[in-house]
Amino acid sequence: MKNKLPQLFVFSQKIDRKKIQMIFAILALAMLVLGAGAPAIGGGVIG
Amino acid sequence: MVGSLNAYIKKQVFQAPDFKITWLAVLAFAPQFFAFYLPATREWMPDLLVAMILVTSQVLLLAFAYLNRKLVGMWVLIGGLVLNLAVISVNGGFMPISPETASHLVPAALVQSMPLESRFGKSKDILLLPENTHLEWLADRLIAPQWFPLQVAYSVGDILIATGAFWMLAHQPLKKESL
Repeated sequence: MKNKLPQLFVFSQKIDRKKIQMIFAILALAMLVLGAGAPAIGGGVIG
Repeated sequence: MVGSLNAYIKKQVFQAPDFKITWLAVLAFAPQFFAFYLPATREWMPDLLVAMILVTSQVLLLAFAYLNRKLVGMWVLIGGLVLNLAVISVNGGFMPISPETASHLVPAALVQSMPLESRFGKSKDILLLPENTHLEWLADRLIAPQWFPLQVAYSVGDILIATGAFWMLAHQPLKKESL
């Protein structure tokens, strides 16, 4: 049990870091696509 | 989603694209956020400033994309970005859209009430007749099919950008699951 606890802690940290990296990567890609693309969706005129 | 499904089928872990200098994407996109997406700021920004913001932002995004060119699909995305940047640059800093195409997105009467060469609402588009548009084949001239829930006009560059992004997410190198 003593050994498992630090392992679990390290594992949870690893997961969090990966998730954060994933979120940042998806956000960067979203910004790239939104910024580079220029589709017109009602032009902000409606909706 | 496709990337995650691919990883799940192969019993491996989906890896997000490993971008370099992510801060550059944030820096490049932030002005566009204020110019096009945030209602409080986009309302008062003069068109000249918005045009400058769009071109500058896309140049910075091009730099970001080029620095990450080794990622799967990035060259396709860069191709789309270059095409959009080219047509925007030679048409006064906005993406041209013809009144006919615009009337597929909003009521035709509303389009007719807008003067030519004016911005199409607060979007990245400018209303231009095809004969007055430079590189017209790169403009927002394609329309989503009628059955598609979101009516949108897009360009050849937009298709490449979407394809590149899809390819990037769908074909990311996978990693074996490990504890």
